[in-house]
Amino acid sequence: MWSREISLHPCFPAKGELVSNLTHAARLRIGTRWVATLMILCEITVLLAGRDSCTQSVNSAPPLRVPSNVTWTKETLRIISNGDAFRGLLLARRCNHCHGEEGFSSISTFPNLAGLDRLSFWKQMQDFRSGKRTSQVMQPIAEGFSARESADLAAYYAMLPTTSDPQDNRAFPQSMHEPARASIAIRLIVFGDGQRGIPPCQSCHGPVSYVKGAPPLSTQNRDYLEQQVEHFSNGYRANDINVRMRSIARQLTGEEKTAVSEYYGAGLGPGVSSR
Amino acid sequence: MSLSTATRSAGMKKIGIAAAVTLLALVLLSIRYYTVDLPIYHFLGGGEGPDPPALHLRGEFVESNLGAAEGPSGSLTVRMIAQQFVFAPQCIVVPANVPVTFRITSADVVHMLSFVGTDYGLKAVPGEVTEATFTFATTGTFKMPCHEFCGAGHDAMRGQLNVVPRDQFAPLLPSERRTCE
Repeated sequence: MWSREISLHPCFPAKGELVSNLTHAARLRIGTRWVATLMILCEITVLLAGRDSCTQSVNSAPPLRVPSNVTWTKETLRIISNGDAFRGLLLARRCNHCHGEEGFSSISTFPNLAGLDRLSFWKQMQDFRSGKRTSQVMQPIAEGFSARESADLAAYYAMLPTTSDPQDNRAFPQSMHEPARASIAIRLIVFGDGQRGIPPCQSCHGPVSYVKGAPPLSTQNRDYLEQQVEHFSNGYRANDINVRMRSIARQLTGEEKTAVSEYYGAGLGPGVSSR
Repeated sequence: MSLSTATRSAGMKKIGIAAAVTLLALVLLSIRYYTVDLPIYHFLGGGEGPDPPALHLRGEFVESNLGAAEGPSGSLTVRMIAQQFVFAPQCIVVPANVPVTFRITSADVVHMLSFVGTDYGLKAVPGEVTEATFTFATTGTFKMPCHEFCGAGHDAMRGQLNVVPRDQFAPLLPSERRTCE
């Protein structure tokens, strides 16, 4: 009894005091520690930012122009390959009006999205969002989709069939204005022009081989293709990484641009192979 | 007698099979060399240079920095990217009789920039900057084909080099030094 009273009685005030003292001191200590860490973090960020901007300004004396913020890193590829086609199907309601219920547009100046490969679709969406590719219509729409939603849409459109459907109101196979131009188109698509340094279309856009970010062209609309090649050649569209498409389009003559666009737009180009 | 011949022939057979397998492995390796050369190179500690997929974002190979540029000491440096299946920039303008330093890297696979009519050649390796200094004595237009098989469009991968007199080169703007129009 005695021992218990002693052990209990002095304990209460002592404990209370101790606790309050401890919390006060601890609070102070924690507070100073937080402030210190925050200050150190701030300093580190400022230093890093300063160093970055310094190195950039040294490395690039002319103003830095970045064609696209997209890089084909493993992280990017992971985001794109995680796209869910079913979520894409639900999101695609916003795209149906222009790009068609089945991914084939009824107007020839709008691109067909059916069968488009995931990487190029995702890259264009990101470029619209960042303003690297300009379009009065697409920029505000693309801003409404996050990177993940773009990946979902990409997965959905990549799995849409590219076979013909007579019930669908699509502009796609449009016959060539001048069938005589087909030989020009075939030469450029299959062989390119080595003398001018124009590689064959099919070596990047398929089906012979593919380059990351190059869309398949075999089911693309004529007027859209012609417009884009023209924009690449005059520099209005400049979101191709490392000046690839711009330096090719600049070499093409007007007739060659029309011939290749018409040939692909007529559904005559080499087919979409399994990717 | 017959037993020893049998064992010897069995031993020869084993050696023969081993030799055949080794030969086959060597042939396969030499055919598919381009798929193992870069991993081996990176394993040996190479490829510490610019990041191939991010060349367009940062570093010296950004778009606005390509082509011929004068250094602070008056030296001339040409920066180029080799990629499937065009060189960037595709056409470069350099002065004659002036040492020109080429700095080239690759954005995807191994390429080789060669100059028709000369022995000059520059290997472009992803993750690595290759540097060499050349002097062009004659003015004119030269082709710069890719001299290392790099894929389906390799045969059409050709750059162009315009060697112009020195006094004609000086007034050109940086943007005019990376185009032939």
